[in-house]
Amino acid sequence: MSLLGGTRSSRLRLGGFGLLIAVFAGVLVAAPTGGGIDRILTPGFVTRSLEMATPIALAAVGGLYAEKSGVFNIGLEGFMIVGAFTAAGTMFALGGTSPTQAHIWIAIVVSVLVTAVLTVLFAVLLIRFKADQIVAGLAVWFVGLGFAPFTAALVWGSRSSPGLASVDAVAFGQSPLVFLAALLVAAGWVVLYRTRYGYWVQAAGENPEALDTAGVDVNRVRYATVIFSGAMAGLGGAVLLAHAGNFVGTGQTMVDGRGWIAIVAYLFGNYNPVGAAGAALLFGALDMLNVQFQTVGIDVPARLVNLLPYAAVLLVLTAWGKTRVPSMVGEPYETEE
Amino acid sequence: MSGADGGRPREALEAAADRLLRASVLERIGIGIASTTAALCIGLIIAAVAGYDPIRFAGQLIAGAFGSERAIARTLRSTTLFVLTGVAVAVAFRAGVFNIGVQGQFVVGGFTTVVAIVWLANFVPGGTLGGVTLMLVGSLAGVVAGGLYGALPGVMKAYGDANEIITTIMLNFIATGFVGWLVAGPFGDPEATATRTRRLPDNVGLPRVVFDDPNLSVVGLLVMVAVVVLVAALMARTRFGYDMVTSGYQDAAATYSGVDAKRMIIATMTLSGMIAGLTGALFVIMIQGYYTDPSGIGNYGFDAIAVSLLAANNPLGVLPAGLLFGGLESASSHVQINSDVPVQLIDGIVGLVVLFVAAPELFRMIAARTGLGGEGE
Repeated sequence: MSLLGGTRSSRLRLGGFGLLIAVFAGVLVAAPTGGGIDRILTPGFVTRSLEMATPIALAAVGGLYAEKSGVFNIGLEGFMIVGAFTAAGTMFALGGTSPTQAHIWIAIVVSVLVTAVLTVLFAVLLIRFKADQIVAGLAVWFVGLGFAPFTAALVWGSRSSPGLASVDAVAFGQSPLVFLAALLVAAGWVVLYRTRYGYWVQAAGENPEALDTAGVDVNRVRYATVIFSGAMAGLGGAVLLAHAGNFVGTGQTMVDGRGWIAIVAYLFGNYNPVGAAGAALLFGALDMLNVQFQTVGIDVPARLVNLLPYAAVLLVLTAWGKTRVPSMVGEPYETEE
Repeated sequence: MSGADGGRPREALEAAADRLLRASVLERIGIGIASTTAALCIGLIIAAVAGYDPIRFAGQLIAGAFGSERAIARTLRSTTLFVLTGVAVAVAFRAGVFNIGVQGQFVVGGFTTVVAIVWLANFVPGGTLGGVTLMLVGSLAGVVAGGLYGALPGVMKAYGDANEIITTIMLNFIATGFVGWLVAGPFGDPEATATRTRRLPDNVGLPRVVFDDPNLSVVGLLVMVAVVVLVAALMARTRFGYDMVTSGYQDAAATYSGVDAKRMIIATMTLSGMIAGLTGALFVIMIQGYYTDPSGIGNYGFDAIAVSLLAANNPLGVLPAGLLFGGLESASSHVQINSDVPVQLIDGIVGLVVLFVAAPELFRMIAARTGLGGEGE
């Protein structure tokens, strides 16, 4: 039994990455007069792209663990909203409208804990009560979209927060959270592919009976991965907030589809944490292209450039939709006793 | 039955599908009611915790939904949109295709209707006859546009194996952004101060009979009922509907009995998108009269998912579920004006309804523990 997918599909995927980068470069080159590539690919652009990619990469690593173990956590978007709001609320509670850097870090930790606790409830619904994973995940999104702005309105009298504070850069003009994310991505890869626990996760999604026979509690593994995925999405939301510096709860909230893009990022990365982070970086760069076009003076409507990440997702999914989904995703597991 | 067109395996399949569908109707209704009640109770508790009077809040919900003639008209207006978008979702979900993109198809359909009518008004004479022609052609344009926008993710799923949940969500973002850009730029009304398209001509509008409300017409309600009945009949009485539902329950069996799975997915998505497009057309003709930035027109297409799920994806069940959501929406606008409670609480309650609907096992277990309700299966 081969747990890891064939090399052919991963080569195809590499080709996919190459093509998307080519398309991305093509957009830059074909960009009308006014600026060359050198003026668009500035250090500032790279910094902002990394910053944009971080929340997506964090949620993606969490999501892929859950799905690897056989549970599709489609509620990432909702958990990110909860994470972003909790971080903003905690910051405000600690330091009012001028929280310190320490307050920001405490807020991030609190936010991860709160989302993790909420995910426990979600995991119980999915695993113990065998809730429909797709419907329940959508519900998490709705709950987040409703209750986060509701609580924001209770706290600030408006769906969005006043300006709080964003995290200071540490090195290379880069936020420490970007480094933290890189570390977590690497750790995610090591744990998944190089430890016994990682093999349990994979087996829970591919062949739960075998894992059960080997004496490992399948549902316990799944609880762990689902709670981890919620915590990571919460962290992603908190990081998004710590970079932005204030909470926006109007429309689709400040998360604005990043949780969904995270799902695509790990599908595109074929459930590999490093691949998922790479895909997140591409989406982050596309997201930031808008700012870059404006600074260089290329006159493309911002509203249309903002749609590029979504269009890229469609392209990616249609061209490389055939991901090797773990065989038992969506199937509740009953222990035979 | 006269439609004996498939021989024995088909009959066996039919029996199996029937059992699946009928056996649990009562149970489904029970789950729907339990989910709604549980979500509303949690909502009231949250209101109480936040420092508001829950009894007063509950009273405001009821008054806002059914308390006056105006409230009832407002409820029915929202109900029309929720039922129609709900049917659009139900069609797809029943066939096992998760069309989360009804919002986008609704937006594209409505915008196309406005553009088509405004453009055609240059060629069609005024008066009632001209108005009716414009409305029919405009709605047709909306239906076609919605259908095509729904077919797109269908094709991507059928031939590219792209997960339709994700693609339709992305297409929602794209529809909102792109139509928003069109409304602000190329199709904006240069004379209007607000961001919107030109208004529909005066002769376009539905007759005001029975209800004295500028935004509600009996014609709209009739369209709603007609669509529900047609779709219910299509699903229960035709070969196409039968194949669709079987694909949803047992795709292997459907393929075995000769259903082309790929074409079924595309057909389902197209039909779902067409209904969403029709809803968009009705929205602009009956209510709005022009098109604005779609990020501000309401989440009918998203809430429709909740409506359909609450109705167990049954087109007839969508009627009471849509009424519930129409009532909640109408109550929101009442609460917004007459109460300090932030209206987003109602959105959260809707989310909880869906969460509970997703976990019928929860209620089965509670029922078994407490000895309430019938025995399980």
